[in-house]
Amino acid sequence: MSTAVARFRREGYGSTLVGVLIVALFLFPVFWMVSTSLKAPADIFATPPDLIPSPPSAEAYREAVFGNPIVLRAMVSSVVVSLGTMLLTILLAAPAAYALARLELPGGPLVLLLLLITQLLPSIVMAGPLFVVFSRLGLVNSYQALILADTTITLPFAVIILRPFFLSVPKDLESAALVDGATRWRSFVQVTLPLVRPGLVTVAAFSFLFAWGEFVFALSLNTNEGIQPVTVALNKLIGQYGTQWNSLMAISTAVAVPIVAVFAGLQKFIVGGLTSGATKE
Amino acid sequence: MARALPSTAAVPAAAAVRPRRRVRRGLFADYLFLLPALLFIAVTMLYPVWTNLRMSLHDVTVMTFLRDNAPFVGLQNYRDLLADPVFHKALGLSLIFTAGSLAFQFGIGFALALFFNRPFPGNTTLRALLLLAWLLPTVVSGSLFRWMLDGDFGVVNYALVSLGLLDDGRYWLIEPGTALAGTVLANVWVGIPFNMALLLAGLQGIPHTLYEAASVDGATGWQRFRSLTLPLMRPVSLSVLLLGLIYTFKVFDLIYIMTGGGPVDATTVLPIYTYKLTFSFFRFGDGAAAATLLLVGLVGVALLYLWAARREEAS
Repeated sequence: MSTAVARFRREGYGSTLVGVLIVALFLFPVFWMVSTSLKAPADIFATPPDLIPSPPSAEAYREAVFGNPIVLRAMVSSVVVSLGTMLLTILLAAPAAYALARLELPGGPLVLLLLLITQLLPSIVMAGPLFVVFSRLGLVNSYQALILADTTITLPFAVIILRPFFLSVPKDLESAALVDGATRWRSFVQVTLPLVRPGLVTVAAFSFLFAWGEFVFALSLNTNEGIQPVTVALNKLIGQYGTQWNSLMAISTAVAVPIVAVFAGLQKFIVGGLTSGATKE
Repeated sequence: MARALPSTAAVPAAAAVRPRRRVRRGLFADYLFLLPALLFIAVTMLYPVWTNLRMSLHDVTVMTFLRDNAPFVGLQNYRDLLADPVFHKALGLSLIFTAGSLAFQFGIGFALALFFNRPFPGNTTLRALLLLAWLLPTVVSGSLFRWMLDGDFGVVNYALVSLGLLDDGRYWLIEPGTALAGTVLANVWVGIPFNMALLLAGLQGIPHTLYEAASVDGATGWQRFRSLTLPLMRPVSLSVLLLGLIYTFKVFDLIYIMTGGGPVDATTVLPIYTYKLTFSFFRFGDGAAAATLLLVGLVGVALLYLWAARREEAS
């Protein structure tokens, strides 16, 4: 018995126990969201509130999510905007980060500084002028406008994250390809790019996560219900559903599911990217 | 490998023949890698900032903004802002929101970082789970806290009343006195994992040997914390706080979703005020002036950050 206690202590299971309690307490709001979403309408107003819905009901999901064309269409819009932002970000950021890491261009450090400054621009400052610019270009109320606007946030971040990955690729590999007669572009695409795949995954994941949750541009650059992302749809429904919190929490959970899925699948890349993005400059 | 050798030898010879032209042509091709990103930045970031600056000096209204023929009014928009009591209130609320958020998310984040800095089974998994709060879309966390802080059936009221901390439930987000505190609570929850992750990275950078040496010298846990951890964490703490300052000062969506700036401007911080000027009142000129002031403030903090980082490096 006493050896079991000693082993428990030695291996730090006491800390594990405390850790589990901390995490459970901290993530209670998430639990509460899912729990509320599985309640029947009358059970939301029970006092004391039920921690676990009994019996659980899928009614809110049936009616507010799968039976709601507005939410379904908004989900599709969010997928389009998120994938578009992800692709555009990588297309622009990968060559730029490569150039800034490898090519020793005159003015390179200046570009890096410019990127750091653009990271400061709050969406709310950009939303007004972007609305004006897009109005003149006839782009207001289009997927393109939202993708372009979201990329203003993801691009500087992506270049700053990717540059160190390119720096860590050994120069010799590429020199060999160049000597063999490959052009810069071909050696970049065929030799260097595959070697920075972890960086590309990090950037893709972050661009997708950001665009999926983006709210300010979606709110201010679009008035068309046909292409409104799910974040704006949810915000509108808060007013519409009033006190039907089970419905609202069901939609919230549905909006959160892709985030949780991406995070669960790519956790390693995301945690690394978070710390490197903010500390390495 | 062997096949590459002859061509390697040929390169310097060829370069010697026409050195200048080769460099020029190569350089132009190299800039093509950067060009798309630079064009994008110019069109969607620099031009809008320039547009914003210009609008802030013109009397831009619904009638004039599409045709781009608003009359130039100099600094009148800025004077209007400075004369507007709501602007002053917004500035004050922004400062309270930022200071409150930073104090709690940094403090709790630091405590959690210290806890997770010790190795124990399941450490990495538990830490990653915390990040979930930071990754949730703001609309989701905002709606969620609206529900938890609900006056009639919110779980926060239920908990406080059952614990005997409150006699009666409160309408947290509807009463002017508590609405801002409600938004701070939600923002702290979102920000804790971010602070923890960065501070933990800092703690893990402190060499173990320092602590071992201190233990040999007979330092207690508290002494090691005070004379080793705290001073060594100063640079990291400073950057986390300044980054937090930048991120928190521009928070718009969370507050907009929870309260919309209300009740009666009680949570109208500077970004909300800016948004309302432009998109609710269509006072584009005034909105642009407010946006410019917001930007100037953020650039100021960023310069402070760079200056502090350089000073820490030098010392």
